[in-house]
Amino acid sequence: MSTIFIHRFDVVQPSSLEEALKILAEEGESVTPMAGGTDVMILIRDGVIKVKKILDLWPLRSQLSYIKREDGYVKIGALTTVTELEKSWLVNDKRYAGFRDVIIGFATPYLRSLATVGGNIGTGHPLSDIGVLLLTLDAEVVLLSADGERIVPLKEFYLGKRKINRKPNELITEVRFKEAPGNSSTAFIKFDRRRGHSMGYVLVAAYLALKGNVIEDVKIAFDSIGRPYPERAVKTESFLKGKEFSLENIRKAYNEVLPTEMSRISDYRASAEYRLDLSKVLMKRALLRAKERIESR
Amino acid sequence: MAFDPSKSWDTYPDIEITLNVNGKNYKVKVKPYERLIDVLRYKLGFTGVKEGCGRGECGACVVLMDGELVPSCLVLAVRANGKKIITVEGLAPEGKLHAVQKAFLDTFAVQCGFCFPGFAIAIKHLLDKNPNPSEEEIKEALSGNLCRCGSYYRLIKAAKLASEYVRQGKIYFDVKR
Ligand SMILES: Cc1cc2nc3c(=O)[nH]c(=O)nc-3n(C[C@H](O)[C@H](O)[C@H](O)COP(=O)(O)OP(=O)(O)OC[C@H]3O[C@@H](n4cnc5c(N)ncnc54)[C@H](O)[C@@H]3O)c2cc1C
Ligand code: FES
Ligand code: FES
Repeated sequence: MSTIFIHRFDVVQPSSLEEALKILAEEGESVTPMAGGTDVMILIRDGVIKVKKILDLWPLRSQLSYIKREDGYVKIGALTTVTELEKSWLVNDKRYAGFRDVIIGFATPYLRSLATVGGNIGTGHPLSDIGVLLLTLDAEVVLLSADGERIVPLKEFYLGKRKINRKPNELITEVRFKEAPGNSSTAFIKFDRRRGHSMGYVLVAAYLALKGNVIEDVKIAFDSIGRPYPERAVKTESFLKGKEFSLENIRKAYNEVLPTEMSRISDYRASAEYRLDLSKVLMKRALLRAKERIESR
Repeated sequence: MAFDPSKSWDTYPDIEITLNVNGKNYKVKVKPYERLIDVLRYKLGFTGVKEGCGRGECGACVVLMDGELVPSCLVLAVRANGKKIITVEGLAPEGKLHAVQKAFLDTFAVQCGFCFPGFAIAIKHLLDKNPNPSEEEIKEALSGNLCRCGSYYRLIKAAKLASEYVRQGKIYFDVKR
């Protein structure tokens, strides 16, 4: 009576990062890392995955929960929770204001104290708010195993539906991105019928750097371009780069370029047509929001 | 009847953990796959912790764990080892009502009451951090708590009244009989 899980499982709680890596090296695929567990616990509950043994990463929080600036990078420990992001300097830096957008709309207050940054990209799910934003900051994922460190650009980290570029003996230890220039900012929009507690029909994040009124650099990421994981709209980006920041150019970009690289799906939540339409409108809004932020001193 | 693992076919190990629930220490044997909510409800009898959805969507099961608001349906019990847990039963000392509970009674905020323990804990968590929340802040703090009876209007009224009590220094009330 005291479990609701169809498949029962064991748990191992390592006392250090080294021990965790050793367990992964020895037992590999038969152990499933669990950070906040807000995704894993539900997959187990629903019987979507069958796990033999959970590797509880929570004891490693003292080592892997941090947000720091170092060597020109912003480095975020994999076990940093959304609540910790919310309390950090990151959300007050206008260049990274996109994180503010992410946090406000992220799940529910009580899930934010469990949900981690590493877990968010670890799900490999398209509707990963943090992952979509991090794509626009050209983030890299730091993976650690007993064999050493491996650094993978986030855009090469997603491989398929719930498939990520992680070997069974590796842990995600950090996500990092180069400090953005002062003339830049970010924005994130998740569109759903309500503000909080939603998955979103469409997710969009934008990074914008302006030189006067010219788009010096721009990166736009969506929950999906066509494949079932977050990706950047690179053709749309290169169309906009170097052009003047004007509604006319943005309209051209989303009407003439975006549809050539985006193919949306229809499901019970929304039609492909509606999703494409939303993608266009939200892309414009995200760019305008980022511009507004750059200009606010 | 308590679950007796020695009579079970279940070969998963028993792990002894210590939980401090509402100020009292409990040593309890748990299975690796057991959730905190199961241990609180079925092994320790804190049935004020409700399971609405079991998947982090309704807030009926929230407890404070070392001061943080967490859904006990998504936390493995072993992970709560050594932690301080507050459930609705621990809001006020025996025979007293906490300001949040008093405010709920004064405003007739609940109908069936199933969502109440979660709301009460979420409001306490909010008031611990911010005793003077705006209506927007109350709504945001309670945005993950669902009320099947749709009593939201009064739940927000109750949260406001509770914050007034707390600001007046009135934390505990005698239970009227
Ligand atoms: C009700 C509800 C609402 C939600 N709302 C949102 C939302 O608004 N936005 C959003 O983006 N997501 C949302 N989610 C999904 C989920 O909460 C997030 O993706 C969260 O960030 C996952 O983090 P976690 O630490 O809980 O991951 P976990 O569940 O612990 O792990 C997720 C995956 O990553 C792997 N993993 C985790 N950490 C590591 C690591 N360090 N090394 C290697 N592998 C690792 C795990 O093995 C697992 O496969 C929601 C979930 C629920 C239940
Ligand atoms: S039972 Fe835990 S959130 Fe619903
Ligand atoms: S009063 Fe019935 S669920 Fe809230």
